[in-house]
Amino acid sequence: MYVTFIKISDLEKHYASAMALRGVNLEIAAQEWVSIVGASGSGKSTLLNIVGGLDVPSKGCVRMNGTDLCGLSEDALARFRRQNIGYIFQQSHLVPYLSATENVMLAQYFHSLPDEKEAEEALVRVGLGHRLHHRPSQLSGGEQQRVCIARALINSPKLLLADEPTGNLDRENTRVVLELLKKIHEAEHFTIILVTHDPFVADWASRLVKMEDGRVVSDTRNR
Amino acid sequence: MKGFRWFVFFLGRSVSQRWMRMVIAALSVTLAVSVIVGMAGLSLGIREKLGDALKAYGANIIVSSVDGRNMPAEAWSAVRSLPSVASVLPQLYGQIRIQDVPVELIGTDMDTVRSQGWRMKGEWPSSPGQVAVGSSLGEVLGVGAGDPLELMGSTGVETFTVTGFFERGSDADRGLMVGLKDAGRLLAMPDQLSALLVRSRGEIAEAVPEISRSYAGISVKGLRQIAQAETSLLAKIQLLMALVTVVVVGACVISVGSTMGATVLERREEIGLMKAIGGTRRSVSLFYLSEAGTIGLLGGLLGWPLGFISAQAVSRGAFGSYISVPHILGVAGLVLGLVIAVLAGHFPVRDAMKPRAAEILRGE
Repeated sequence: MYVTFIKISDLEKHYASAMALRGVNLEIAAQEWVSIVGASGSGKSTLLNIVGGLDVPSKGCVRMNGTDLCGLSEDALARFRRQNIGYIFQQSHLVPYLSATENVMLAQYFHSLPDEKEAEEALVRVGLGHRLHHRPSQLSGGEQQRVCIARALINSPKLLLADEPTGNLDRENTRVVLELLKKIHEAEHFTIILVTHDPFVADWASRLVKMEDGRVVSDTRNR
Repeated sequence: MKGFRWFVFFLGRSVSQRWMRMVIAALSVTLAVSVIVGMAGLSLGIREKLGDALKAYGANIIVSSVDGRNMPAEAWSAVRSLPSVASVLPQLYGQIRIQDVPVELIGTDMDTVRSQGWRMKGEWPSSPGQVAVGSSLGEVLGVGAGDPLELMGSTGVETFTVTGFFERGSDADRGLMVGLKDAGRLLAMPDQLSALLVRSRGEIAEAVPEISRSYAGISVKGLRQIAQAETSLLAKIQLLMALVTVVVVGACVISVGSTMGATVLERREEIGLMKAIGGTRRSVSLFYLSEAGTIGLLGGLLGWPLGFISAQAVSRGAFGSYISVPHILGVAGLVLGLVIAVLAGHFPVRDAMKPRAAEILRGE
């Protein structure tokens, strides 16, 4: 049964010099894996940021699991995000002076209470049991992204947002990261929205939304 | 780890990453706190010194010659017999040399001095050829009671016997006291007086006119007038000290503010990340303001003893003795350091929190 988890209605975003979103309408079901593809400047990252509460629309609304995000203040969005959303960035944005475990614990700190054992288990799950106390500079690009996955999922979010998570990785590491995501998604059944310009990456999703010039131009089931 | 322990851990890690910059910023807080504590200590101490000086003299009226020169010793006889006068201490001031170094000499009546209750280690001179040495001068000369001391005056070198060491908490502690006859001879000012320090029996306002009429050519001033003049000067000095303090604190705020500004600029990505993973503005600000607070505490911790030491050094140099600095100034110094640093850090941190996470992580 299709249960709408996220409803995006007439979303617009203007900047001083450009219009990033021009009236986007989209419904996403719970536990779905959606890829949003498009060329650079198509508005896909802007859409992701607004869905994740990292940015606010100029017009329109995002409703997630019954909560209207557009009515929330910045701090209320932060609180909503820590309880419900995990984020994986293209640049890993790991804190350079914290170890892998401590970077994961940082996400726990804002959510509830840091738990070193739990953080270590999350890293073991993504295949980094031998890198628990390494700093980001001591990790490869693929390993850093796996730390990001552990950090994003440590608080069991209902929604995982990934903005070009494999954008800086080679094909081998891309495959490793995507397989990991697939495995955890099948185990934990959260919703994924993944933004990419790479058709290989987009193909891992069950649904493909194509954006062009701030609009959704196609929306197809992958399989 | 509990939340607070993790917070402290994270703070410690963050501080240790840029400890050099933190230390430099802390040094500017140290300077500000040491100036504040030093100036406040001196300011309180000067008042105390002034109070002590007035109390030490026991006098509330000073009599001197109208033309600024010495007056005849018979002025003393004229004044001390007046009904409005309780006591009179005659003083003859001048300079002699000890081992070719000029030293202040006060000639006075030792019987009257004994009744003043000034601090004395040893005995006041009781006969000609004896000298009491100021405590500060005594330390420099390294003489003890009973030792001979050669004084070079107008008559040449005379050998006196040291009877004791006095402490009045003023410049006089760097000088000598002898009987009036000895002073008159050494200074070639026989039967002369520089001043009479008078204690009135009743109100100063009643004593002053009576004393003025008792002998021609004398100037009579209530010490309150002198004290008021000194208080006015003191107020000016304190104002200057306050202005210097304000300037130093201002410079410190700028320095710490610049450090914090550079810190938050460097760590924009970290700030954006914390906001993205669910940190509210308040919780993220707390991290960075705590770093500023750490700078302040460190600076306060170092600044307070430095301020205390510098106040004592200035007092020793200016007054020849130490002042008592209240210990509460230490706590105040620590708190002040914290407040200055957090205030300085507040504005750059507040500005850093303004952009949304998406803007920061996009690199805007």
